Amino acid sequence: MAKKIVLLAAAGLLALGLGVSAGQADDFILTGVKPGKLVLIDAKAREIVKVHDIPNSAPGVLTITPSPDGKIAYALVNRWESISGIDLESGEEVFRADMSSGDERVKGLVAMDIAPDGSELAVFQSAVKLGLGEYEVQPTRIAFYDPKAGKGAKPTRTIPAPRQIVLMMYSKDGSKLYALGRDVFAIDPKDGKILETFKTQSWDRPNFYPPDIIDVWSQWEQSGIFSTPYYTARSDMDLSDPAAYWTGMLTLDLASGEFKLREVENTEVFYFSTVVNPVRRNEAYGVYNTVAKLDLDAGKSLGSTELDHSYYDVNVASDGSEIYIGGTMGNIAIYSTETLERIGNIEMPGGADMALASLRIIQR
Amino acid sequence: MKRLKPLNAKAELLVTAAVEGTVEEVYLMQNMAGCTTTLDPGWEVDPFGGVSSLCQPMEADLYGCADPCWWPAQVADTLNTYPDWNDGAPSASRDWRLLQSVFPTDK
Repeated sequence: MAKKIVLLAAAGLLALGLGVSAGQADDFILTGVKPGKLVLIDAKAREIVKVHDIPNSAPGVLTITPSPDGKIAYALVNRWESISGIDLESGEEVFRADMSSGDERVKGLVAMDIAPDGSELAVFQSAVKLGLGEYEVQPTRIAFYDPKAGKGAKPTRTIPAPRQIVLMMYSKDGSKLYALGRDVFAIDPKDGKILETFKTQSWDRPNFYPPDIIDVWSQWEQSGIFSTPYYTARSDMDLSDPAAYWTGMLTLDLASGEFKLREVENTEVFYFSTVVNPVRRNEAYGVYNTVAKLDLDAGKSLGSTELDHSYYDVNVASDGSEIYIGGTMGNIAIYSTETLERIGNIEMPGGADMALASLRIIQR
Repeated sequence: MKRLKPLNAKAELLVTAAVEGTVEEVYLMQNMAGCTTTLDPGWEVDPFGGVSSLCQPMEADLYGCADPCWWPAQVADTLNTYPDWNDGAPSASRDWRLLQSVFPTDK
């Protein structure tokens, strides 16, 4: 009898699971290739389903920010002086902000995000006045746009921002805009007030030198945790000793605001970027010339595999089962998160390079 | 500076600034005025003094570094001055023969 109840319960769970599965949206990879194409890929089918040309986009696509409903992709293009919003179904350009005007050249330098309710698009801008014989650097700022403003969009407002910001991400409730620069800042998007500073370059950790961080890849949407590798060295050790050098992981939970730094391994290889598993949330994956699985709780590596070439960015399936590794050249490599075995590959249209384009996951 | 004489107004201003001690009044730049604001020779040698931690192959990193002007001297400035430098060459590893040297033009 007990055995029958267990079987019935299992059947019920299975049915429940199937029901949820049938109602779930599928993962689609959203990225860009040179000289200015958006590429939409059915992740499980390993098939490219849409390729859209972005008008006036050379030399390529930088940051890609999908709308919360996954229908429009906003891309930094045109030498980072324009944001183009492309309807992912029709390919039509439905939003365009050309940020430079007159004698002011404005570059959107990588950092861009959209509010969780889709109400505004935030971009970090670095502007310069073009004089006859000199350039005059202007204060850096964050500009906000109405994502539904159509073509010819102008900022609805701007707020001051620290220099050298490279990534921005809204908190889950939209009340803060986190910005990665020399430190990680929590900025009030209403007035630009810095609400909190999480120290990185300015940290005062005993026995550690200030860390190096280089990260320009927006890929936190699956877990809601921003993560980036950092590289440091022990100041209480002889720097000729390889054991003095450490790779760490910085994580910022966009829901709770929890900020953590922890060392995970001696620095023998580098990772350009990392992503956190949305299911096994202690696991992160780092990519560059190798792909590695890192245990964020235990602070250790769980293994690594060499890649066939260098890759910049990585994202992860909603069920946490596989990762998509891209950027640099013209393919996305797919690896199992359990075994770190290569289980798939997707060639980009015409073999075109992804270069620095974001690699985002949306659900449709 | 004693052996150098300014030849134009801008150089004269620099000499004046040096005399007045205001040469240090510079703005912090951020990749904005062309490809001469970043000098990162990491293309040739990795942080360990070798090459195994550089991008493999070099072409994998070519456009990712050229487009944001990461390399100031080795490749053309696609961010401002030569935006069409890699037109018609979307795959660096396949199309690198199409990439040409660039030269300043007279205004």
